[in-house]
Amino acid sequence: MPRREHLLKIGVSGIRGVVGDFLTPSLACAFGQAFGTYIGRGRVIVGRDTRMTGQMLQHAASCGLLAAGSEVVDVGVLPTPTIQIYVADTGARGGIALTASHNPPEYNALKLFNSEGLFFNQYERGELIDLYHQSQFRRAANSEIRGITKDYESGPRRHFERILRHVDVEAIRRRRFRVALDGVNGAGSAMSCQFLEQILGCDLRAIWVDPGKPFPREAEPKPESLTELAALVQREGCEIGFGQDPDGDRLAVCDENGRVLDNDDVLALVVDAALALHAGDVVVNLTTSSVVEDVARRHGRQVFRTPVGEANVVERMRAVKAAIGGEGSNGGIIFPAVHLCRDSYTGMAFLLHRMAQTGKSISQMAAELPKYHRRLGKVSYEHGRLGMLMQSLEQAFPGVPADRTDGLKLLLDDGWVHVRASNTEPLLRLAAEARSAERLEELYGRVVQALQQS
Amino acid sequence: MNEPQLLRISHVGVRGVVGPGLTASHVLDFASAFGTFLAPKVPVVLGRDTRASGVMIREGVIAALLATGHDVIDLGVVSTPVIQHTISRIGAGGGVSIGASHNAAEWNALKFFGPNGIYLSTAEASELLDIYHLKKFDFVGWTEVGKLCLQDNAIDPYLDDLAQVFDLESLRQFKVLVDCCNGTSALILRRMKERFGLNLILINEKTEGVDFAHDPAISRETVGLQLAPLMQPVAADAGFLFDADSDRVAIATEEGNPVSEEMILPILADYVLPRVPGRLVITNISTTALVEEVASRHGAKVVRAPVGRQAAIDALTGYRPEQVALAGEGTGAVMMPQFRFVYDGIASMLAILSMMAERKARLSEIVDAYPRYSMLKGQLPFASRRLPELLMEIQMAYSDGRVTSIDGLRVDWPDRWFHVRVSQTEPVVRVICEQRGDPPIALFEDLMGRVRSYV
Repeated sequence: MPRREHLLKIGVSGIRGVVGDFLTPSLACAFGQAFGTYIGRGRVIVGRDTRMTGQMLQHAASCGLLAAGSEVVDVGVLPTPTIQIYVADTGARGGIALTASHNPPEYNALKLFNSEGLFFNQYERGELIDLYHQSQFRRAANSEIRGITKDYESGPRRHFERILRHVDVEAIRRRRFRVALDGVNGAGSAMSCQFLEQILGCDLRAIWVDPGKPFPREAEPKPESLTELAALVQREGCEIGFGQDPDGDRLAVCDENGRVLDNDDVLALVVDAALALHAGDVVVNLTTSSVVEDVARRHGRQVFRTPVGEANVVERMRAVKAAIGGEGSNGGIIFPAVHLCRDSYTGMAFLLHRMAQTGKSISQMAAELPKYHRRLGKVSYEHGRLGMLMQSLEQAFPGVPADRTDGLKLLLDDGWVHVRASNTEPLLRLAAEARSAERLEELYGRVVQALQQS
Repeated sequence: MNEPQLLRISHVGVRGVVGPGLTASHVLDFASAFGTFLAPKVPVVLGRDTRASGVMIREGVIAALLATGHDVIDLGVVSTPVIQHTISRIGAGGGVSIGASHNAAEWNALKFFGPNGIYLSTAEASELLDIYHLKKFDFVGWTEVGKLCLQDNAIDPYLDDLAQVFDLESLRQFKVLVDCCNGTSALILRRMKERFGLNLILINEKTEGVDFAHDPAISRETVGLQLAPLMQPVAADAGFLFDADSDRVAIATEEGNPVSEEMILPILADYVLPRVPGRLVITNISTTALVEEVASRHGAKVVRAPVGRQAAIDALTGYRPEQVALAGEGTGAVMMPQFRFVYDGIASMLAILSMMAERKARLSEIVDAYPRYSMLKGQLPFASRRLPELLMEIQMAYSDGRVTSIDGLRVDWPDRWFHVRVSQTEPVVRVICEQRGDPPIALFEDLMGRVRSYV
């Protein structure tokens, strides 16, 4: 049966889809009203990334919020972490960010935050989605309707202040690092320039920092999409290059040789920096590299693993009072002392701080990490066959300890494999890691073979 | 059906009590329908009156218009006539006015305009309603989504045009007291005062963060609340009351007498008709017969249409613009051809002041010079099923008069008339009787008794 294309997802993580036939202003408005009803009367912070559909959806969501009796604070175009910090900083009831993060430009989404500026936990998410489906929204009368105030100024300052408490700004400024930046014309464009140039005193060479222009490259920051950044680093002789995603939560890093680092290694470097500053354990998702464990062990710290997804990592970090956490492969760095959210700015500051402190180059620091070989991939599957696929995979690795909290992760002595179903597409995501390239290929091959045979 | 009506969706748009009646979802759907109805990608002008709920509705209208591919030019808080003026001035493809005019504060509404700021015809409004009901909207792809542009200087060009038509210099001699009822007229009049030096004293002129000082209805009663008692203490020459979106106006004389809103149309007819001899006056069948008397003095004819703005629009489309002198209702809403046939309270005010200047007459002299007509109005709830029966009974009982049945039942005699009809906005039957001279009390009581017997 040919599948009908439906590019909309309404689920526990909010609402996400291709704008036009799928994600409509009516849906965004209804979701805004459900959210306003759920969190109760009070201020809600609303901001967005630079997608062409952001303004339209912001007005739609604001309409729903006002209709529910919420007071709206419009913070305009800001990175997602900055919006989250704004919510926490100002004691608002909640926040909405109109952003589809690293998804392609035709997508957009509503990200919803509670009064602490955090994603709702899974129970709250369930309640909210039930409320949305029941459509029993609060409907404010004229006398109960509050207005919209604008604050396009204070967001970046609130965010920077929190970060600067944790790094040696003077040491960074003294080095006057030559830094390259690829802002993907995203929400962080102006703010990142200000942060690196004026606050951290870098000699900045930036590309794609015009928030009025479309995304010039694939939105997700990864080696294939950061070739221009790599070229810029080499051309300008930069000591480090940073690549952001459109809403400034993800970070990718390019070393002084123009090589884009593996995101798991970036996370490991930041974990190292953070644990030197703050006591506490580490939380990462199941797909994150074991290099993080090695780094944590050096500091005498433990690593907790969670299902994939920022909300899952954040929930566990909160529960174990972690010092640092994140999701390796997708460039998410979470440092709770700044805020419990993925934050590319904290990542940039920590790496520059480490470079200033140690006098080492970024490539040197990366080379000192234990070497792991990693491979990610995906295969499509038919609905209804998922259980059988997982069983045959387990049989292909007899006697190996398994973790079933998110798909299936098989833990071998010298590596691991992780297979999970995507939340958004009928795809299985595969990941494997080993100490040698040969062993990696062997493990990965066994996984693919097991999945193909069944 | 005697539940209080909280929502009404009709040819003139959507109107309701915000919250229990009019919801965000209605706003999104109606504005999406309008965006679908308009020619693709034309810019749309948007404005709102001073109600708190206007902010919520504005957000929804903007989102829906952007999503259907239209750029939106938002004028902020402005009067409906300024929105219509701007549509035509900048050549926009249409416009939306958010505001419930003379309705109480808890109401709000969306009104839609086509190119040149004209109201939608009945055929166009039907199409819009069909799209709304089908809920199949043409949302554009992500690269085609419209852009929002804020424009807060729409009042000045509007005033420039008013200054072309009226000799504002000559109006500086009058001290004018205005009850803005916290509506959009305050913004226009403040600016008019600044730019043209008119001696305007504004009361209830705050437009933000306040409730309406009183019911924004336009009537002799609301003029009597604050405006009329203040006339003599401040020694004003004329007093005007505007509704929230400034399309209607009522007056108080320098002696402090509130004047019936029915008088606005006859007074303006008297002012306009000598300048455009041979042209028509268009009004509805509930409006005072003084209009005919004034028109006949100037050798002009009166055309009467069913009650309601939509009927007036349809009546207007039957004539070329140069055939019409003015059009209006007994509600204080009047349009003059200089203003592209837009109900405009501010223009009405300037016309009345100009009349005082030209005739060198006090307002009370102008008002008192007209023969006295007395009008009685009543309303009662009814059973819809028995309405045709009721109207037939009344028609039989008054078979000696001239019958008009285009909207309920109107019966005319040489010096008096009555009109019994069903309201378009509330579940009531309205009874209106008018007589030259004293009030037609017996006729009115008889009609009310008959209506009551059918409840």
